[in-house]
Amino acid sequence: MQRRDFLKISAAGGAAAALEGCGNPDHQLIRFIPEEDLLPGIATWKPSICTLCPAGCGTLVRVMQGEAEVVRNGQLGILKMGLAKKIEGNPAHPINQGKLCPRGHAALQVTYHPDRIKTPLQRTGNRGSGQFKEITWDEAIKQLVSQLSALQASKEQGRLALLASPLRGERRTVLNNFAAGFKSAPPIEFEFFDNRVLQSANLQSFGHASLPTIDLGQSNYVISFGADFLGTWNSPVAQSVGYGHMRKGRPGQRGKFVQVESRVSQSGASADEFIACPNGVEGMFALSLAHVVLRDKLRAGDAAGHAGSLIDGWSQGLPDHAPEKIEKQIGVSAATVARIAHEAAAAGPAVVLIGDAATAQTNGLFNALAVNALNALLGSVGKPGGLSFGAGWSEPPASAAAGKGAADSIQKLVAQLQSGSDAARVLLLFNANPVFGTPAAWGVHDALGKVPFIASFGSFIDETSALADLILPDHSPLESWLDDVPASGSARTVVSLAPPAMNPLHDTRSMPDVLLDVAHQLGGDPAKALPWKTYDEALKATFTTLYIEKGSQTAKDPDEFWKKAQEQGGWWSADEKTPAPAVGKFSGSPAKIPAPQFDGAPEEFPFHFLPFASQMFYDGSLAHLPWMQEAPDPLSSVMWGTWVEINTRTAEKLGVKMGDTVEVASAHGKLQAPALVTPAIAPDLIAMPIGQGHENFTRYASGRGANPISILAPMTVESTQSLAWAATRVKVSRVGEGKIVMFGASMDETPASTKHR
Amino acid sequence: MAHQWGMVIDLDRCTGCEACVVACHAENNISTVGEDQAARGRAKHWIRVERYYEGEFPDVKTKFMPVLCQQCDAAPCEPVCPTFASYHTIEGLNGQVYNRCIGTRYCANACPYNVRFFNFYNPVWDKPLNLQLNPDVSVREVGVMEKCTFCVQRIKASEIQASSEKRDVKDGEIQPACVQSCPTKAMVFGDLSDPQSEVSRLARSNRATKLLGELGTLPKVTYLQRDSWHAGEDS
Amino acid sequence: MPAKTPEQINEDLLRPLGGASARYLTALAFFAGIVIAAFCAFGWQVYAGIGVAGIRRPVFWGFYITNFVFWIGLSHAGTLISAILRLANATWRRPVTRCAEVITVFALSIGATFPVIHLGKPWLAFWLFPYPSERGLWPNIRSPLLWDFFAINTYLLGSVTFLLLPMIPDMALIRDRATGLRKKIYSVAALGWRGTPKQWHRLESAMQIMAIAVIPVAVSVHSIVSWDFAMAPVPMWHSTIFAPYFVAGAIFSGIAALIIAMALLRKFLHLEEYLLRVHFENLGKLLLVMSLLWFYFVFAERLTAWYGNEPSEMTVFWVTQTGSYSPLFWLMVFCNFVVPFPILAIKKLRTITGTVIASIGVVIGMWLERFLIIVPSLSHKYLPYSWGTYRPTWVELTITAGTFAAMAMLYMLFAKTVPIISIWELKAKEHPTSDHAPALAQTAEEGAD
Ligand SMILES: Nc1nc2c(c(=O)[nH]1)N[C@H]1C(S)=C(S)[C@@H](COP(=O)(O)OP(=O)(O)OC[C@H]3O[C@@H](n4cnc5c(=O)[nH]c(N)nc54)[C@H](O)[C@@H]3O)O[C@H]1N2
Ligand SMILES: Nc1nc2c(c(=O)[nH]1)N[C@H]1C(S)=C(S)[C@@H](COP(=O)(O)OP(=O)(O)OC[C@H]3O[C@@H](n4cnc5c(=O)[nH]c(N)nc54)[C@H](O)[C@@H]3O)O[C@H]1N2
Ligand code: SF4
Ligand code: SF4
Ligand code: SF4
Ligand code: SF4
Ligand code: SF4
Repeated sequence: MQRRDFLKISAAGGAAAALEGCGNPDHQLIRFIPEEDLLPGIATWKPSICTLCPAGCGTLVRVMQGEAEVVRNGQLGILKMGLAKKIEGNPAHPINQGKLCPRGHAALQVTYHPDRIKTPLQRTGNRGSGQFKEITWDEAIKQLVSQLSALQASKEQGRLALLASPLRGERRTVLNNFAAGFKSAPPIEFEFFDNRVLQSANLQSFGHASLPTIDLGQSNYVISFGADFLGTWNSPVAQSVGYGHMRKGRPGQRGKFVQVESRVSQSGASADEFIACPNGVEGMFALSLAHVVLRDKLRAGDAAGHAGSLIDGWSQGLPDHAPEKIEKQIGVSAATVARIAHEAAAAGPAVVLIGDAATAQTNGLFNALAVNALNALLGSVGKPGGLSFGAGWSEPPASAAAGKGAADSIQKLVAQLQSGSDAARVLLLFNANPVFGTPAAWGVHDALGKVPFIASFGSFIDETSALADLILPDHSPLESWLDDVPASGSARTVVSLAPPAMNPLHDTRSMPDVLLDVAHQLGGDPAKALPWKTYDEALKATFTTLYIEKGSQTAKDPDEFWKKAQEQGGWWSADEKTPAPAVGKFSGSPAKIPAPQFDGAPEEFPFHFLPFASQMFYDGSLAHLPWMQEAPDPLSSVMWGTWVEINTRTAEKLGVKMGDTVEVASAHGKLQAPALVTPAIAPDLIAMPIGQGHENFTRYASGRGANPISILAPMTVESTQSLAWAATRVKVSRVGEGKIVMFGASMDETPASTKHR
Repeated sequence: MAHQWGMVIDLDRCTGCEACVVACHAENNISTVGEDQAARGRAKHWIRVERYYEGEFPDVKTKFMPVLCQQCDAAPCEPVCPTFASYHTIEGLNGQVYNRCIGTRYCANACPYNVRFFNFYNPVWDKPLNLQLNPDVSVREVGVMEKCTFCVQRIKASEIQASSEKRDVKDGEIQPACVQSCPTKAMVFGDLSDPQSEVSRLARSNRATKLLGELGTLPKVTYLQRDSWHAGEDS
Repeated sequence: MPAKTPEQINEDLLRPLGGASARYLTALAFFAGIVIAAFCAFGWQVYAGIGVAGIRRPVFWGFYITNFVFWIGLSHAGTLISAILRLANATWRRPVTRCAEVITVFALSIGATFPVIHLGKPWLAFWLFPYPSERGLWPNIRSPLLWDFFAINTYLLGSVTFLLLPMIPDMALIRDRATGLRKKIYSVAALGWRGTPKQWHRLESAMQIMAIAVIPVAVSVHSIVSWDFAMAPVPMWHSTIFAPYFVAGAIFSGIAALIIAMALLRKFLHLEEYLLRVHFENLGKLLLVMSLLWFYFVFAERLTAWYGNEPSEMTVFWVTQTGSYSPLFWLMVFCNFVVPFPILAIKKLRTITGTVIASIGVVIGMWLERFLIIVPSLSHKYLPYSWGTYRPTWVELTITAGTFAAMAMLYMLFAKTVPIISIWELKAKEHPTSDHAPALAQTAEEGAD
């Protein structure tokens, strides 16, 4: 059923409205005509796509007939409609193979969230005051069009800025075309964990500006430098499926997993061997392994090819990186390094991962290049049990990654707004929340506050959209046409596609459709750049070009292909292809691993500070989901809050006990949160999960905990503009007693029986 | 012979991701209780992932262990229940009849695994979160004990489907929500009365142990111990 | 002072039944206020949900079940002690029996409310009763809670009978002296008592039978209460010692409660010439024996647990011995042993004041014992991940206070309506008088033989 038809549906008989309801508003509800022919109690499963993180897992949505209280044409009534009841993994989908991470389940609550924006809103109070009034879609679109035409009239199209969380599939095309047609700058894509450092390294080493797909299932030896690949990094569900297979899926064969990091992450917790290593020396460690491989002739010196040639000293066998020479610096004994190198080289397919904090040091790019070279040396690139690139249908343009971070564009936007020259006059926001996701030191909040007109397409008020003057709420993902081309996670080419799993609950409109509408109302170039009537038409036009490719389905014509893809949840290539790595075209200077830089003098700020992705909230964008708030964190078991991880011995020295409120201060700000005293973190490290500390993000997340991003130093990763979010130093002090809510509330108590024996 | 449903959890695969925990919430209409009640020990997670540390940094070993109702064959929670709300089904499940429970909480004290959860208040779903509720599973009111059912609604649905097709339930056909979700396939569910089933085969592994097996509760969940690299045992 | 004449006895013991003083009414109103507050707290708990109490996972039983065990234990004051003394023909018991027996009835009634109060759905409490219903479903006889149901009801029935039987002649006495409405009421209570030899004979045999019957019932009650715990595989609960341990503890706290009640009656009803030092001394000796027995049980229980060194038991062991519950544990030992033992063992200290101090200690100590049996085991059950602590809320505290107030209130009302000392039994000559005090000790010893 088309959205427009759907909106035309009128209430079933005005007579119902006259029902006297005994004073109970429930009884005054009107019954609308049923919308879908679902059998009561019989579930159907509709394919969809998880949009909560960039992994792009394929899902099946369990839809059953239910009765929803909805507003239609300004009238509150009961509508019997298909309602999403549960989200499950799509077993046919090559990325997640029927599995889901905890966040994927909670996507259901995005649709049913009580604080979702239900109608277009216009700001009435001061900016950020949260005062809005409801307006109609006609009014809302008129306002946006008039703002944009004003820019056109004054020939200031360049002063339109588009700020989006990473776009998927055809949505990216619509936004890009809109910007291009309007002649504004291309959309700025912002997310905290943007992985651009690694993309950039991969582009240099292998010619692919994307994250690798890791064939863990066939690997015999996995070394991970800081990458929480079983938690949130890259394609965690795909990686977990592979990991399970590596561990126990091959009779008689069990791979070994070594994690190298300074705090036991969720992935580190599962490692067969955990190697503690300070932040920033991961690259040296990797090269030390490479040195042993070269020295002991476990692999030929030229095996690393282009990736190796990027590393200074490679052809000489990396003499500076002999384990004996650098064991002090990396804090790992030469014997251990040598043993790991020999084990990895002998084990058969071995693969080395790097991500998260290891790439968020000032020398993160070089760390990643070193690991890339090690992978190449071990022969893991483009091989079963190793890593591969470029299975995606279309990679993001190399230029998007090379030497450019999101930080670059956001900071440029902020700088322009602060200086006033060329500054944006109209800002369109698409779910990005940089006010929460950037250090306070960047001044994003104040800068965005200077934009004369902000329109947001998000479904929720968050710290950034609270600044909006106009809100044009999008459908929830389950109510939308979705498409995605996951760049990693499967060695097959995967193009996911899904029609809406259910009809919209509220008076929302699909963002791309609104943009098409706006473009058509503007006419001229914008209209030409977006020639489609509806988003699904655009989608179909692009998608059906695939139908001649050999893949998961055969179709006689594009229409049938389109129909089948909707039933299946997309299209994927028949075979796994592991394209040979292209040689990078990057012409940068060979990289000597530089020492990491940290913000803050060690005397004043004695601890390294490590913010990390939370299993439940990812980058904080999921903190509004009650299931995620109440799910205990895998390691801390904390619910509904945040915490500061402090090593047991350090806490003893600081006089800090479990649950005490501590203050964490960097040179750029401070925050307070309860202490979590744990043996699973280095004594000189303070760690905090990202996700809480929202000032303004629905009833479930607002005013809860603290946001570690806010106190980060504005350090960038060398040779890129990405935020070096693990390069801040802090000091910690006890403030007083505090409160920490844990599901395993007493894990801090050592069982008395063991203590006394 | 009636089916005897059982589960195997391979601790060598489990990564503590908690997908199972949220999947169970989604499937079984488990209400969230909010921060204040969670702080007072009233959060309900029919399956939880216990995490234990051993040793000091950097030689710290971490263990994850998902714990759900073990569906004990000699379930201590059953005889103590005065109203037969906690009872044994012929398929070996520990059944919980919400309508019969009057909230003595005796069963929860008797359960050595602490996997029984009590509704200290009536559950609340802020509208329209109520629309997420699974119509196949009843919601529990204040004063009622609840716990993992092995997703009995899924078991029943498959059994009815199979009997309407005049066949037996196939091995692997039934997947409780946690099992279905588990990204590492750490959990396997099936019929222990069928020696050929995957779950029976795994339960015979030499890594198999029962949680608190020494208490004689005869749990129908088998744990496979963490393995080490180059260790001989497979599967 | 010469021995009391029957008239004097009538006079002294019927005096309290007269009009109520302002002091009496104030005290009654005070206790009634607390009881009403407790009812309101319970009402709130029913309305808002059992969550307003402090119980939580994994400590699903807290103050309510502590109070349950405590009050049921306290109820062993009367009927059991009085029955034993009756059977042993301890003549000094005569002024003591009724005030003891009434403690049983009230403490038992109060205790029996807690299994209802603690329910998640108290409005369905009747599902615990075996009755033919449209549900066609009997309660589960394998559940110790069902055993509780039978045991408590039997004991309540028995002790009410045991209280009421010897009240009949006294009711007749009041009937004969009363006029108007009072006469009518007491006539009913007197059950047509005329004092014929046949009636006396029947009364004596009925009481003999009841005294014999009530002892095993009383022992069974607290054994069964102990099995509420001992039947569950919970560390430090699952113990064979629990039944005798509980029964001994019950008698221990019961005697203490009786001593306190007697001291209050003595003071407020001016019964100095009836409740004598010898009564306190004799009960004090009994209390001493029970204190030693209690200590022996605790020692035996702890020693075997420690020697067994079973990890989950040792967790609970240490958490009470040296861990977070240790202040309460050592306070309990202080109250139940350190305080009463010297006071009761040293003859000079075994005064009325001395025994009362010791008894107050024991009542507090025994309440703590119940708490320490229930809570630390639940809070540290097996898997450390789900250990938890317990703190009561105002609801539990108010209801707990309410039960003590209810006891006081009921006792006050009872003492206003029924002679708290059995008049006819006193008149049976052997009762001790103050100037015969030295000889009395002998009588008591005879009785104890
Ligand atoms: N969890 C749980 N599940 C249960 C039960 C339970 O106690 N707990 N009880 C079970 C029992 S006993 C029963 S009977 C079933 C009931 O299950 P259903 O038969 O599903 O009962 P209703 O929810 O009343 O749904 C009947 C539907 O008919 C619609 N309706 C009302 N009047 C008319 C009409 O005139 N014509 C048409 N075409 N439709 C109409 C109503 O809007 C409603 O949607 O549920 C069973 N399921
Ligand atoms: N408001 C409202 N009223 C309705 C309906 C409605 O939808 N809404 N639906 C109507 C319909 S379709 C029906 S079928 C009726 C159902 O009405 P009832 O038959 O009253 O259904 P319940 O209240 O679910 O269950 C009855 C009682 O059985 C007890 N019980 C549970 N297990 C057992 C057992 O094993 N043995 C025995 N003997 N008892 C047990 C339960 O605790 C409960 O007290 O209600 C009707 N009335
Ligand atoms: S990894 Fe989790 S959040 Fe990300 S797409 Fe997959 S299911 Fe969704
Ligand atoms: S979903 Fe699987 S891997 Fe994740 S915690 Fe549960 S059992 Fe472990
Ligand atoms: S695990 Fe606990 S709740 Fe489940 S059957 Fe066993 S005793 Fe009962
Ligand atoms: S809480 Fe419910 S299920 Fe548990 S013993 Fe009491 S009545 Fe039975
Ligand atoms: S079997 Fe079902 S009810 Fe039990 S833990 Fe798993 S999902 Fe929850």
